[in-house]
Amino acid sequence: MSDATLGRDAALLVPIVKTGRGFYVTVTILGLLIAWGAVAYWTQFDQGLGVTGLHQPVSWGFYVTNFVFFIGISHAGTLISAILRLTKAEWRRPITRMAEVITVMVLLIGAGQILIDLGRPDRLMNIFRYGRYQSPLLWDATSISAYFFASTVYLYLPLIPDIAILRDHLGGKRRFLYSVLAMGWTGTEHQQKILNRAIAILAVMVIPIAVSVHTVVSFVFSMTIQPMWHSTIFGPYFVAGAIFSGIAALIVAMGIIRRIYHFEAYLKPIHFRYLGYLLLVMTLLWFYLTFAEYLTGYYGSEPEEMKVFWSKFTGPFWPFFWAMVVCNLVIPLILLVRLRHHAVGKTVVASISVVIGMWLERFNIVVPTLSNPRLPFPEGQYWPTWIEWGETAGSFGLFILFYVIFVKLFPIISIWEIREGREVGVKEVEERLLTYLPDGAEPERAHDRAHDRARALT
Amino acid sequence: MACKAENNVPAVGAREAARGRTISWMHVLVEESEERTRFLPCPCLQCDDPPCTKVCPVYATYRNPEGIVAQVYARCIGCRFCMAACPYNAKYFNWLTYQKDAPGQNPDVSVRPKGVVEKCTFCHHRLQKARERARAERRELVAGDYVPACAEACPTRAIAFGDLSDESSDVARLARSPRAFRLGEALGTKPKVIYLVETEAHRRV
Amino acid sequence: MSRPDPAFERTVRIFQWAIAGSTLVFISSIVLWIVHLIRTAWSLGDVPSASIGISLVAIPVFLTLLGVGLSVFWGLLRGGGPR
Repeated sequence: MSDATLGRDAALLVPIVKTGRGFYVTVTILGLLIAWGAVAYWTQFDQGLGVTGLHQPVSWGFYVTNFVFFIGISHAGTLISAILRLTKAEWRRPITRMAEVITVMVLLIGAGQILIDLGRPDRLMNIFRYGRYQSPLLWDATSISAYFFASTVYLYLPLIPDIAILRDHLGGKRRFLYSVLAMGWTGTEHQQKILNRAIAILAVMVIPIAVSVHTVVSFVFSMTIQPMWHSTIFGPYFVAGAIFSGIAALIVAMGIIRRIYHFEAYLKPIHFRYLGYLLLVMTLLWFYLTFAEYLTGYYGSEPEEMKVFWSKFTGPFWPFFWAMVVCNLVIPLILLVRLRHHAVGKTVVASISVVIGMWLERFNIVVPTLSNPRLPFPEGQYWPTWIEWGETAGSFGLFILFYVIFVKLFPIISIWEIREGREVGVKEVEERLLTYLPDGAEPERAHDRAHDRARALT
Repeated sequence: MACKAENNVPAVGAREAARGRTISWMHVLVEESEERTRFLPCPCLQCDDPPCTKVCPVYATYRNPEGIVAQVYARCIGCRFCMAACPYNAKYFNWLTYQKDAPGQNPDVSVRPKGVVEKCTFCHHRLQKARERARAERRELVAGDYVPACAEACPTRAIAFGDLSDESSDVARLARSPRAFRLGEALGTKPKVIYLVETEAHRRV
Repeated sequence: MSRPDPAFERTVRIFQWAIAGSTLVFISSIVLWIVHLIRTAWSLGDVPSASIGISLVAIPVFLTLLGVGLSVFWGLLRGGGPR
C-alpha cells in the first residue's frame, strides 16, 4: 500500500484514530437514553405489559409502531447501495457504507421491538419449537433473518479491503480485530475477482429480499379483516414508505457525519442534491399511494371503514394525521423542489421532517383501526406511558450507539471505493459514455478492468 | 357473573377497569332503539373460520375437532396478534398478574399468569368432565350432558346450548329458523353463536 | 510494520476459520428450523401449503447466502499473496 495515496484519504481514518471529547459526551447521552429504556423494560418485564398504556381494544401501540418504523428505515442500505451499485452510479461511493451500516444496526433494533412487545418473552423458544408458517409473524421472522444475514454479509464484504488498510496502517490494541476480520486480504487480482463477484451477486439478491421484508411486515396488518387494515395496497405502500423513510434517515446520518467529522470534501452538496431528488420522488410516490388508499375507502363508504377514516381526518387522531401530511408532503415539497443552493441544509431539514412524519404514519396505521372496533366496545383513548416513551428513547439511543461504535472502529466512508473512483472510475465512465453514443467503441473487457484495478490498489 | 366464577376470570380492579382492561369473557351488548332495548350476550363466537387462529405464531389458539376455538395458556407468548385480528374483540389479555392461585377458585380451570391471552371456551373443562363421566359409565356422550355456566345460569333460559352438527337437536332447529342471524356474518368468520330476532319482521341482514 | 509473528498469525487464522464455521452453523440451523416448521405443519394438517410455499423461496435464499459467504471466505483465506 503506498502511503502517498492513503495520505489523500487519511482524513477518513481520523474518526478511528482520534477519540475526542465529543465522542465521550455523545456516548454518555446515549447511555442515559438507553438506561431509561432499560429501566422501562425491566419494569415491564417484572410487572407485565399493564405498565404501558395499552388496553382493550388498543392492544398494539408504540412497540408495533416502532417495529414497523425501524424495519422501514432498514431499506436505506439496500436502495442506495445495491441499486446504485447495479446501475454503476459513481456518486454512490462515499455513501454506500453509511447506508449499509444503518440497515444492519436498525434491523437489530427493529426485531427487538417485537421481542419487547411480547407478553411472555420467556417463552420465546415457542416460536422456534412450535412456529406456524400460516402466521404472518413467522413470515416476518424468516424474512427479517434473511435480510439481516444478507445485509450483514453485504456490509462486511466491501468492508474487507478497508479493514486490510486498517490492519496494515494501524497498530495498537485493535490490530488483532482487524487482522481477523481482514480475512487475509492482500489485494491480489484473484481476491478482487472473488470479492467483486460476491458483491455483485449479493447486490442482486438483497433487493428482492428487502422488498419482501417490508411486504411481510405489511401483511401482519393486511391479513386481518379489520377496517382500514385489510387493504390490498399495503404491500407496495409499506415498501414505498420504507424506502422513503430510509432515504431520509440516510440523509440525516450523512448530514451529521459530515458536520461532526468535517467530511465536506467527501460528502458534497451534489450527493445531497441527488438524494434530495430521490427523496422528492418518494414524497410524491408516498402521497400518491396514501391518496389512492384513502380515496378508495372514502368512495366505498363502508360504515366501519368510514368510522376509522373520520377518526383520522377529524376525530381524535386528527393532530397526528395532519401532522403526518405536513411532515411527509408539505415540508419536503417546499424544501426539495429547488436544491441549487443550500442543498445540504434543505435536504437534511426535509429528511428530519420525513422521519417524524413516517413515524406518525405508522402510528396512524396501527392505533386508529384498533381504537374503532366493529362491535360497540367501551372505548378508551390510547395514552402511552413513560414506559413506552422510555423504550422508544432507548431504542433510538441503542441504534445510534451501535452506529457510533461502528464509526469508531471502521471507516464510515469506503476508502478503497473512493480510490477506485479516482483511479479507475473516470476512465470507465468515459468509455461507457462513448459506447452509448452512435460511433462509440465496444466496452473494455471485464478482466482488463480488474487488472487495472488491482494495479491501482496494491 | 356465572362465567366469571366458573372460569376464574379475574376481577381486575377499578383502576385497571378505568384503563380499559376489564376481562369479561361474556359481555352483554346493549342495543337501544326507540321501540326497545335489546341485550345480546356475546361470548367468544367460536367461529368455524376463525381469523384469530390463522395468525397465532405458536399454535396457542386453534380450532379443535369439536369446533371450539381453544386457547393454550401455557403456549401463548403474548404477542396479541389474535386480539388484533378478532373482529369481535372476544380475546382478552392479562396485562398484569391479576390473580394467583387462591382458595375459592374453580379447581378445574387454570389460573392464567400475566402476559397471556384468554377467552371463552364454552366451559371446555365441563365438557371434559362430562366426557370422562360418560366413559366411566361406559356410554356415549349425549346432548344435555354438559352446558356452559352461562347457559346454566341464565334465569330466562335465553341461552340454548347443544350440538349444532346433530340435525335433530334444539340448537340445530333454532339455527335454521328464519329469525336466526349471526354477528358479522358478512365477514366470513362463520361464528357458531346464533341469535334470534323477535319476529321475522325484525330480521337483520 | 512489525515482522509477522507466527503465533499471532495462527491465532488470527483460527478466529477466521471460526467465523467461517459459525456462519455455516448459523445458516444451516436456520434451514433446519424451516424444515422443522414444515414437518410440524404437515403432521398437524395445518395448511402445509403456506409452509411449503415459503420454504421453497426461503431455503434457497439462505443457502445462496451461505454459499456466497463461504466461497468468499475460502477464496480469501486460500488465495492470499505476499503482503
